Amino acid sequence: MRLSMKAILAASCVAFASPALADDDLSLDGKTIGVAVVGTQHFWDREAFNGATSTVEELGGTVVPVDGGRDNQVHADNHDILLNNGVDAVISILGDGAVEPKFEALKEAGIPVFTVDHPSPHAVNNTTSDNYYMGTTIGRYMADAIGGEGKVAVFNAFQEALRICDIRAGLWKYVLEDYPGIEIIQPELAEEFANAPEDARKKTLDLLSQYPEGSIDAIHVGCWDQPAIGVVQALEEAGRTDVLVTALDGGPDTLEIMAEDNSPFVANVAQQPNLIGSTSAMNVARHFAGETLLPQTYVDVVPVNGQAEAKAAYETLGYGSLD
Amino acid sequence: MQADVRGGPRLSEIVGFLPLVIFVGVLVYISLNAPNFVTVRNLELVLMQSLPVVLVCVGLAAVVMAGGDDVVSGGIDLSIPATAVLSAGITAQMLSLDYSLLSCALAALLACLVVGVINALLVTRVGMTPLLTTLAMFVAVVGVNNVITSSRRINVDHPWIIALRGTEIGSIPLGIILVAAIVIIGYFAMHHTRWGLNLQAAGGSKDAAEISGIGVNLLISHSFVVAALTGYVCGFFLLARGSGSSPGVQDNLMLEMVLATFLGAAFSPRRVVTMWGAVLGAVLVAAISIGFKSMGVNVFWTGLIKGSLIVVVVAFSAISQRVR
Repeated sequence: MRLSMKAILAASCVAFASPALADDDLSLDGKTIGVAVVGTQHFWDREAFNGATSTVEELGGTVVPVDGGRDNQVHADNHDILLNNGVDAVISILGDGAVEPKFEALKEAGIPVFTVDHPSPHAVNNTTSDNYYMGTTIGRYMADAIGGEGKVAVFNAFQEALRICDIRAGLWKYVLEDYPGIEIIQPELAEEFANAPEDARKKTLDLLSQYPEGSIDAIHVGCWDQPAIGVVQALEEAGRTDVLVTALDGGPDTLEIMAEDNSPFVANVAQQPNLIGSTSAMNVARHFAGETLLPQTYVDVVPVNGQAEAKAAYETLGYGSLD
Repeated sequence: MQADVRGGPRLSEIVGFLPLVIFVGVLVYISLNAPNFVTVRNLELVLMQSLPVVLVCVGLAAVVMAGGDDVVSGGIDLSIPATAVLSAGITAQMLSLDYSLLSCALAALLACLVVGVINALLVTRVGMTPLLTTLAMFVAVVGVNNVITSSRRINVDHPWIIALRGTEIGSIPLGIILVAAIVIIGYFAMHHTRWGLNLQAAGGSKDAAEISGIGVNLLISHSFVVAALTGYVCGFFLLARGSGSSPGVQDNLMLEMVLATFLGAAFSPRRVVTMWGAVLGAVLVAAISIGFKSMGVNVFWTGLIKGSLIVVVVAFSAISQRVR
């Protein structure tokens, strides 16, 4: 029952280039699928991982899971283990440039690689959110929230390192080009990959001491929203909740913050990480069924503008109720 | 009475062997359950993945041997992984600005030596405890590296760096050959030279060493510089492994370095930190880690399993010392 629900959901957003098999006919019976995830500490990573592993198992496959512990190099090294293990395919979730040579080695060994949120020339298919829509939408929402003008700080450590972040932060900036009254504070801030909330909290406190009340209007997190948790903490600690916060990802933890009364966290675009992971696993099965997949599969996102929409998205995405 | 005298050492020997027996037992279990675990390719994988940890373990072993193996008051250098990351960060950043590899390597060397010398001065001249000094230095050096790299990933594709990962000499990866050479040189220096023997004497008993005219503080200073140098070399292996410098690598590296080095002591007959023990510890931790992953152990459990195994091994080591 759970499979058919997931299959229907996944089918609704799978883009394939050749005639598709009915989802009920898809199978990974007898296949061993390596699932490499960069970390399992954060909701997004964990849910994408859970979505992929549970769907592989539901389709009759065996999972070899490896976790990078939020360390990109360990994550990349884990692909060597999957290669040595002789798995039939690999689903690789996130990761920076360190994984590329590993993908290449897997491909050379005849092991197809399916990525999640990491477009790669060595992958059969990348399943991801509509990052273009995410970047432009959050740009518009943020600009509207501060009345079309003001000073904005941005946490943007990964724009150069990760393609998905380049798209999201790049398009956010593209939208802001039409708002000459909005100034992005330089230099941009760089958040840590691990321990992001605490790191962002400290950096925000430093930022606030440099920019007294009235001299900064918003803080945006360019590619995800774990740092935004720390940003909001810092604003509350400093009594500066007049500064607005926007970010991307929209897991239950950040939607809960957005749903609080008078929350400075005003806009987000929520992703469906479990469905993304699950869709990637379905794509593996489609590949083995002989279908030709398109290079990118996009999974729908849910724009969240303000408290009421945060509560609604929380419910729509199946996280429970905040009322 | 005689039976007791004979029985005592025997019991301690049995208990003393248990850490190794447990590890071998776990490895046998893994090899029976993980596909392709007992293959040359997997051995190569284990060695390749443990190279950065092996290098920093050599440095830490030198510091512990010179300063004594009391974790709180003896010799310890937690800053080595930060030095490694600094070496990688400076090299990656300068390469991205089109400097030659030689000038990058020299700049990184200078920076790492500065770290080693500051550690040495703070410990031997100012009299700070190595634990606090090097922990503070770890934080400071990571901070410097964050400034240099803007906490961003920097890709590196210099052929000489990639050669550390990809090139093979007689079907053995170049990286393994280089690190093996460094380990052998380190072993020779620490065990077969007057300097190395004095270093061990200083760590064994500071007072006795000083009475016999050994310049203990100078040797401790040397050990911090050696440690910084291992961090320096490790930086290049980090770059090779990750095709660039990724922020945040130092935390995991520090944890594995400390674990492997003190786990290594559990394998040594006298329960002291040795270079071979540290290297063996690093390789075994990597082997078990890879083994569990190959077996498909639930990722949410691997940390607990690994941690428990290490606690059991170190506990048996402590028990065997008490029995003795």
